[in-house]
Amino acid sequence: MIRAKMNKAFLKIFGKEEWYLVTIPVFLILLSFIVAAIIIIFLGKNPFLAFYNLLQGSGLAPKPAYGGHKSMLTDFLSLLNYMTPMIFASLSVAIALKGGLFNIGVSGQMLFGGFFATILVGYSGLDWAIAKPLVLIVGIIGGAIIGGLIGLLKHKFNINEVVSSIMFNYIIQYVFSFFIHGYYIDPVSRQSKYISDASRLTLVNVQMFNLKMDLSIGFIIAIILAIAVKVFLDKSRLGFEIKAVGANHKGANYAGINVGRTRVLTMLISGAFAGLAGVTYYLGYFASIQPRVLPSMGFDAIAVALLGNLHSYGIIAASFIISIIDKGSTYMSSKAGVRQEIASVITALILLFSACSVYVQHKIQSKKDNLEYKARKEIK
Amino acid sequence: MSEYIVEMKNITKRFPGVVANDDITIQIKKGEIYSILGENGAGKSTLMSMLFGMYEPDQGEIWIRGEKVNIKSPNQATKLNIGMVHQHFKLVRNYTVTENIILGIEPIKRYGGLFPYVNLNQAAKDIAKLSKRYGLEVDPNKKIEDINVSLQQRVEIIKMLYREAEILIFDEPTAVLTPQEVEFLLKIIEELRNGGKTIILITHKLEEVKKVADRCAILNKGRLVSVLDVKDTSTKTMANLMVGREVSFEVAKKPSTFGEVVLKVENLWIRNQDNFDIVKGVSFNIRKGEIFAIAGVSGNGQIEIADAIAGLRKISQGNIYLNGKNIKDLTIRDRIEMGISYIPEDRQDVGLILDFSLAENLSLKDYYKKPFNENGFLNRKVINDYGAQLIEKYDIRSGQGIKTQVRSMSGGNQQKAIIGREIELESSLMIFVQPTRGLDIGAIENIQKMILEERDKGKAILLISLELDEIMSISDTIGVIYNGEILKIQATQSLSINEVGEFMMGVKYDD
Amino acid sequence: METIIIDGLSFGLPLFIMAIGGIYSERSGIINLAIEGLQGFGAFFGSLSIILVGHFFDIPLQKLFYLALLLSMFGGMLFSTLHGLLCIKFKANQVISGVVINILSMALTIFLTTQINSIVFGAMSDKFRIGTSNRFTIEFLAKIPIVGAAFKNIYPFQVVILIIAVFAAYVLNKTRFGLRLRACGDNPHSVDAAGVEVSRIQYLAVMISGALSGLGGISFAYSISTNFSPAIYMGYGYLAIAALIFGNWKVLPTFGACLLFGFARSGGYYIAQLLKMPSTFSDLIMILPYVLTLLLLIFFSKANHPPRALGEIYDKGKR
Repeated sequence: MIRAKMNKAFLKIFGKEEWYLVTIPVFLILLSFIVAAIIIIFLGKNPFLAFYNLLQGSGLAPKPAYGGHKSMLTDFLSLLNYMTPMIFASLSVAIALKGGLFNIGVSGQMLFGGFFATILVGYSGLDWAIAKPLVLIVGIIGGAIIGGLIGLLKHKFNINEVVSSIMFNYIIQYVFSFFIHGYYIDPVSRQSKYISDASRLTLVNVQMFNLKMDLSIGFIIAIILAIAVKVFLDKSRLGFEIKAVGANHKGANYAGINVGRTRVLTMLISGAFAGLAGVTYYLGYFASIQPRVLPSMGFDAIAVALLGNLHSYGIIAASFIISIIDKGSTYMSSKAGVRQEIASVITALILLFSACSVYVQHKIQSKKDNLEYKARKEIK
Repeated sequence: MSEYIVEMKNITKRFPGVVANDDITIQIKKGEIYSILGENGAGKSTLMSMLFGMYEPDQGEIWIRGEKVNIKSPNQATKLNIGMVHQHFKLVRNYTVTENIILGIEPIKRYGGLFPYVNLNQAAKDIAKLSKRYGLEVDPNKKIEDINVSLQQRVEIIKMLYREAEILIFDEPTAVLTPQEVEFLLKIIEELRNGGKTIILITHKLEEVKKVADRCAILNKGRLVSVLDVKDTSTKTMANLMVGREVSFEVAKKPSTFGEVVLKVENLWIRNQDNFDIVKGVSFNIRKGEIFAIAGVSGNGQIEIADAIAGLRKISQGNIYLNGKNIKDLTIRDRIEMGISYIPEDRQDVGLILDFSLAENLSLKDYYKKPFNENGFLNRKVINDYGAQLIEKYDIRSGQGIKTQVRSMSGGNQQKAIIGREIELESSLMIFVQPTRGLDIGAIENIQKMILEERDKGKAILLISLELDEIMSISDTIGVIYNGEILKIQATQSLSINEVGEFMMGVKYDD
Repeated sequence: METIIIDGLSFGLPLFIMAIGGIYSERSGIINLAIEGLQGFGAFFGSLSIILVGHFFDIPLQKLFYLALLLSMFGGMLFSTLHGLLCIKFKANQVISGVVINILSMALTIFLTTQINSIVFGAMSDKFRIGTSNRFTIEFLAKIPIVGAAFKNIYPFQVVILIIAVFAAYVLNKTRFGLRLRACGDNPHSVDAAGVEVSRIQYLAVMISGALSGLGGISFAYSISTNFSPAIYMGYGYLAIAALIFGNWKVLPTFGACLLFGFARSGGYYIAQLLKMPSTFSDLIMILPYVLTLLLLIFFSKANHPPRALGEIYDKGKR
């Protein structure tokens, strides 16, 4: 009886078909947080406190105290700054997936674009008006080269894009580590030397209202491009072809679409977005590159893209949520004593549940059908 | 002990959106050939799948040898000595005949009395013995991918006998066979019956029922219409009951007038992935106003020819001329624009994009042209209007009109959508591969009529079908293919169905 | 020369056993990109177990070597059921599921390692030190020129791996279970019609794959780093997949591919030493297996035949 009531309440919230695109991801996130809460309880900590710390750390709830020139607003702006590459990376994953390709090489493409933008523009001393657009262009081209190459290998040699992406990830990671260690290392920070402020895509320490804020230029570009991606996929001829190849490549080929070419183009575009993620990450949020490490953001982006249903607006929302978890985790670990790495566990859990979203939707639907069937019977 | 070996009482089975079986009761006697007759989609296979444990009925009971049973899996059915030859064979293609037959009940021997292994030698001997006894010769050590369809069917039959099945279900067993092979199969079935086995024959072909069955149950749209003694009933009556209305077997066909050659295929060779020649030096012409049919058993290279003409498959040698221009190196899209319409064999995997809307699918070959596409952006209104127009013209039925996801549409309407789209291309050549497969009689009549209309408009038509009746009734010229070679090209009127059947099995005449 | 063979084998064999696991999974029809995560989780589970056992019962870690192998296999198996559940029960996209498992494994093991280190041992570390493994030499065989190196400085896990590999090949190719498993990868409907539960076979195949990956993972932990740390996620799981693709999903050719990877890697290090390259060049040597993989894929990908039903979501109702 209680079960039936719970079922009904559950369906009332999650069972509205037209809202599935929103309710199911929300349900999945809730589920992930419940599992994470269990882990945290298991470690002897208070999960609610830990989750509240996440909000505090990302500027969505007030911290008890702030340092000089800091406030909730600066934390929030920092969140947006962090979220910028996340949006680009997730769009990259989403575009590839729409075309039926799984770009797990976003991290490597980010590093590729970021590295070349750093050494070509970041160290160049160019004026900001030239440097900033140039950084974007180099990032786009760099990411597109690797993405396109992966697409080409798939097209010409039938190489699974997942395997080749992973291989490129490692190759890029080590080769650039070699160059950074050899030529661009800052001996104190053990990272690459800092880039010039003129080339940076984030305006740092902008003084306003007696606060020092980081303003992300990339964020605005990210929002604009997210909308552009939606229009592109919905309305353009190429977008139609990409979706057709993704939905049924045999059918697309039969209809006269050049499947190989479309796949290469898909990966080229996907790579370009990964490159943008790279420059907003390495030349925006950060100003240097840590050698031998791939940004985990390229993998988190898979979670974001799936959670956002490969939809631009969904991705913006999902990026926001995942960024809160990532960004807030540092503060949480210092306050609640839960290791910072829990952030990636929560993200991974969300990813895990997202992979089952089709099944969840199917289950909710059949539950609803059952209930309706029963209700109809009772009326009779 | 009851008089009946199989009783299915008040069986109802629902699938989302359809009632596949609605309160059906049938009783089958031991040692009879009981036929289940009905159109495609009448619910025959569903009913028998429940007897074989593939599905469970929503309501109703199954009794075997006078005892009520609950058949939850094919395994249980096997234990009740029920066997089934499915319409789509359930064979592992890279396994040998022996491995396929023993799968699930493998005989075991042990190395040094310790490590068990599958005793393939013993099994092969047993199978050879069994196949000799029933006159079903087949080499136990050949791989399935290396033997033809009719031998594969023998493997399925031996599989049942190896499991000591007493109740044998055949689901549309003749669909893939030549007339001669059909003869042979029906003889085997009769012999099995005479040997004491009970046979259930699922079919939509009346001649077969008339020829071998003792009794027959007729299904229509999921309901049992009637159970008849075959020898007291005329074919005509059965047909009317099956379709639910008066049917005429005559296809109204005007005499043909041929124009100039539209398609000229010259010494065409095609290789498959394993570098094996699958089409060997095929040549033929199709003229305006001509329906040229390629008859042949499935897997003899006919699909590959169609794919090669449309550009979906590479050729290793030869030339293809369309209206005098060699198109062998053109892309698929170039060929479409040159005037090739193609209704592919696999309508769901190739002909349509199931996740796309009906309107999008209807303009799948036009979307990039003006006015569908302007400066790289699609004009949704044009696409929708065009879709609505075709839906109207070709009577395509769907849940939500242009917005319907094609996945949710019935097979017949999916096919109408493809054919409508391809006709509208107004190509000089139309290729139809298995255009009526799996459709009910109404849809079949409709589609055959459309093909004839296109012919009368002066199109050249290449028809590839496994339904010999269809080929005989609508084509003008027949080319019979066997093992990648066209053995005979002749006017349809001058050929009998048996002659075609002999060529289909590779018998060469000297004339 | 000797070191090339010795190091090549100690790298190639763990790769091989993971690849066999992959063969099991993929020949049953389930794409398994999760090997990377499974080997990591297996190694984590094994390392954690012996560290806790050693800590609380005061046993020297070296004595717990075989326990570590066993529990790593168990851990890998445990985690692989998740991949099985996602692919078989929840009908998730198998490629995505594999990658998800890898990400989750990495996140979870790193989190738990640091957290357990700080709770149990009060240390800030992302490593479990499991100590080195003894190595041994079969004297009379080691004297054979060149080939003899294969019998020098052997890790015990190499012997374990070889025995299990032979057994696994026998089960796959000779037994009833193997026959049914391979049939699932070609045409699951035929298996179903023969009265055998397809999902049961696939679960078992994925779990075997998990266990063998776990064994591979702990072997890497013993041989390359003497500890469990995030550095275990070096993409070796993906190399194993590449190896089984070159091996055309067959055991023996896959063995060859794994040895090739092993020797390429050890050969690269050897050359670097020979040329007295500075240590920063080790980064360039590191890329050798990955570049080799790409090159081999370019030459071999077109010619191979994956199992026919690989990646297909099996649905009884469909025909």
